[in-house]
Amino acid sequence: MRIIVPIKQVPETKSVRMDESTGTVIREGVESIINPLDLYAIELALQIKEKLGGEVVALTMGPPKALEALKEAVAMGVDEARLVSDRVFGGSDTWATSDALSEAIRKIGNFDLIICGERATDGDTGQVGPGIAAFLDIPVLSYVNKLAEINDDECVVHRLIERGEDVSSCGYPLLLTVVKEVSDPRLPTLRGKKKAKNLDIPVWGEKDLGLDASLLGLKGSPTRVAKIFRPKVTRECEMTVANDHTSIEAACANVAEFLTRRNLI
Amino acid sequence: MNPAKYNSVTAEVADELKRIVGEKFVIFKDDEKLEPYSRDEIPGTEYRAMPEVVVRPGTAEEIALIMNLANREMIPVTPRGAGSGLSGGAVPVFGGIVVSMDRMNEIIEVDKENMMITVEAGVVSNEINERLKDDGLFYAGYPMSLETCFIGGNVAENAGGGKAVKYGVTSRYVLGLEVVTPTGEIVQLGGKRIKDVTGYNILQLMVGSEGTLGFFTKIILKLMPLPKYQVDLLCLFNTSREAIDVVPRIMTEGGVIPTSIEFMDKLAVKTTCDYLNETLPYENAGAMLLISVDGSDKARLEEEYELIGEFCEKAGATEVYVADNPTTSERIWKIRRNIAEACSLITPRQCGEDIVVPPASIPVMISEFDKICGKFDVTIPCFGHAGDGNLHARIVSNPDWTDEYWHDILPKILVELYALTKKLGGTLSGEHGIGCKRKKYIGHVVSEVYINLMRAVKNAFDPNHILNPGKIFD
Repeated sequence: MRIIVPIKQVPETKSVRMDESTGTVIREGVESIINPLDLYAIELALQIKEKLGGEVVALTMGPPKALEALKEAVAMGVDEARLVSDRVFGGSDTWATSDALSEAIRKIGNFDLIICGERATDGDTGQVGPGIAAFLDIPVLSYVNKLAEINDDECVVHRLIERGEDVSSCGYPLLLTVVKEVSDPRLPTLRGKKKAKNLDIPVWGEKDLGLDASLLGLKGSPTRVAKIFRPKVTRECEMTVANDHTSIEAACANVAEFLTRRNLI
Repeated sequence: MNPAKYNSVTAEVADELKRIVGEKFVIFKDDEKLEPYSRDEIPGTEYRAMPEVVVRPGTAEEIALIMNLANREMIPVTPRGAGSGLSGGAVPVFGGIVVSMDRMNEIIEVDKENMMITVEAGVVSNEINERLKDDGLFYAGYPMSLETCFIGGNVAENAGGGKAVKYGVTSRYVLGLEVVTPTGEIVQLGGKRIKDVTGYNILQLMVGSEGTLGFFTKIILKLMPLPKYQVDLLCLFNTSREAIDVVPRIMTEGGVIPTSIEFMDKLAVKTTCDYLNETLPYENAGAMLLISVDGSDKARLEEEYELIGEFCEKAGATEVYVADNPTTSERIWKIRRNIAEACSLITPRQCGEDIVVPPASIPVMISEFDKICGKFDVTIPCFGHAGDGNLHARIVSNPDWTDEYWHDILPKILVELYALTKKLGGTLSGEHGIGCKRKKYIGHVVSEVYINLMRAVKNAFDPNHILNPGKIFD
C-alpha cells in the first residue's frame, strides 16, 4: 500500500494574530507547526502501513521553511517527503494549490491512497483534499471518522454526515479526508528526528512539475480574500437566575422552555 | 498558641471590616460562601476549618487596618492566595478572618531596562509570562498549578516547580517585597537591586514563611531573557529503577543541565492519561522521564537533546519522544501537570508527600518506597521533579481499609518515610510547605534549637500570634 499524505504548515493556533488592514495572517515570529488536523491523517496512514506494509509519503506546498513540517512528519514515522516550493506558487488559493499538489502526486506516481486532514486551521476551507481528488479524477470520501476495514483491494470507512454516519466502501486509488475522531496521533521519536535530519527531501519547483505558469500562484487563483475581520457576536444571551431553592423551579422552567423553543429537547 | 485566647468574630467586628474594605467584599454568616475558604487542595477533609469571616481587601492600607483590628480584638487572620496549596497553609485552623488576596491582581510595572516586574500578590502566576512573552523576557518560576495559583502564594511557599533543576526556586527571583506586618505596619524589603546587604536579609526570611510573618502586597521579581526554543523529551523505561538511575547521570555524565527532569511512575502516568483521555502508549512503560532543555541557539539545543536522548536509550529507554513545538510540548506537560489532580480522584484516603533528598540519592529513595509499600500494604504512585531531588510520593490507602485504620496507620508510615528521607540528607518538604499538615513531623527533621529560633522570629514579628497561627511549628 503506497499512501500519500498532503500536509500543510500553519501558524501555531495559540499565537495567531491577524493584520486586519491587509487581511493576512501575521506570520513573523510565530511558531509554525503541522496543521493539527493533518496529524490525524499522518497517524491513520502510519497505522495502515503497519497493518498492510508499504510506504507513506508526506507532501506539502509552501516556502522552504515548510521543510520543518515534512521533517516532523518523518519524525513521526513517514518514510519519504516531497516539498513543492517556488516563488510562482505564492498566493495560491485552494484551486491553484489543489492543482499544483495533484501534479506533484502524479509525479510521485504509483499510489493507492491519499489521506488529507479535514481542513487547515488557518484557511479553514476544507477544499484542498477534495480539490486534489477532482484534479486527479479519483473518488473522494470526506469527513472520515473511522476506518472500519482495509485490505489491499478496498477499504470501508465511516463518515460523519449531518444527521449521523454513513458507511462506504471503495477501491483504490482513493482520497480520504479525515476528522479527528479517526485516530490519536503519535508523538515524533528521537529515532525519527535523527532520520529526518539526515533525509534529503526533494524540492520541486514550477519546472519540475511542468505546470502552465498562468495557472499558478495568485494568477492561477480564481478566488481572492476580499476582506478579513473579526465578526461581531450576534448571539444574544438570556440569563435566568436561581439564587436559592425558591427560585430554582422557575429558573429550570425557563431553561426548559428556552431549549424547547429551539427544538433542542 | 493557645486557641482559647482568640475571640470570635462578632457582628460589630464584621461591620468594622465592612467599613474598611467595603460591604460587598466581606462574607459573613453565609456558610455556603465561606466554605470554599475552609480548605486548600489537600485531598480529603482532614485539613479543613471554616473561617468566621472572609475579607477581600484591595490595598495594603486596608490590610494594615484589618491587622490593627485583629490585634485589638485578638482574632486570628489567615492569608489566602488561590487556595491551590498542598500543606494547609491557607486553612484558618482557628477560624477567625480569612484575608483573600484575589482582588489585588494587578501587574503594576514591567521594567524592561532592569529586567524586573512588579506585581500584586493575587496575580495568577501564568499571567506573568503571558504578559512578558512579547518583550522577550520571562519569569523562571514554573509551579505545576501555574494556571491557577497566585504569585503571592508562590512567594509564601517558596514554590519550586518544574524548572528548578536549571533555574532554582522562587527565592532566587524575589528582589523586593512590600509587606504588611502582622501588627499592621507597612514595610519595604529589598528593591530593584541585584545586590543588597543592608542589614539582615528579612526579604528572604519572608520568602517561604507560609503566610506567618506578613502579607505581600507588592512583589518585585527578577526576569530573564526568554529562551527562544524549548525541546521536551518523553523517555519511556521498563522500570522505575532504570528511569530514576538515569536522572543524576544526565547531569554528571551527560554534562547537560536540563531545564527540567520530571519522573512519573507507571501508576501516575496511567491514572493521568486515563483522566485526560491521552493515548500515549504507556502500557509497556514502567516509568517515564520528561526532560526539557531550553536555549536560544537551535543547533546547540538539538545537540543537547540528542545527547540526552541517546544517553537515555543507552540506559534502557525503550522509546524517546521529542516535542519541539508548543503544541506537542503542551501535550506532554499537560500530563505532568495533571497528575496531582488525577491521583486525587482515586480515593480520598491518600497523602501527598513532597520529600526532597540530595539529587544523587533519588534512586535509593525510590527503592525504599518499595519496601514501605511492602511493609504497610499501601501503593505509592510517585512523580516529581526528580532532577532536583524532589519527589511527590502519594501514599494511597489499601481500598479495603477503613478510615479509622488509615488514620491510625498513616502517621506510622510517614514517620518511617521521613526517617529514611532524613537518613539520606533529605527533608520533609521541598516546595509544598509545612503548614498544618506536616507540623507535627517537623521535629523529625530539624533540631529543637532550630525550632526555637523560628519561635523567636515569630514572636518578634507577631507577638499576639494573630497571623496564620497553627502553622509550621507550635
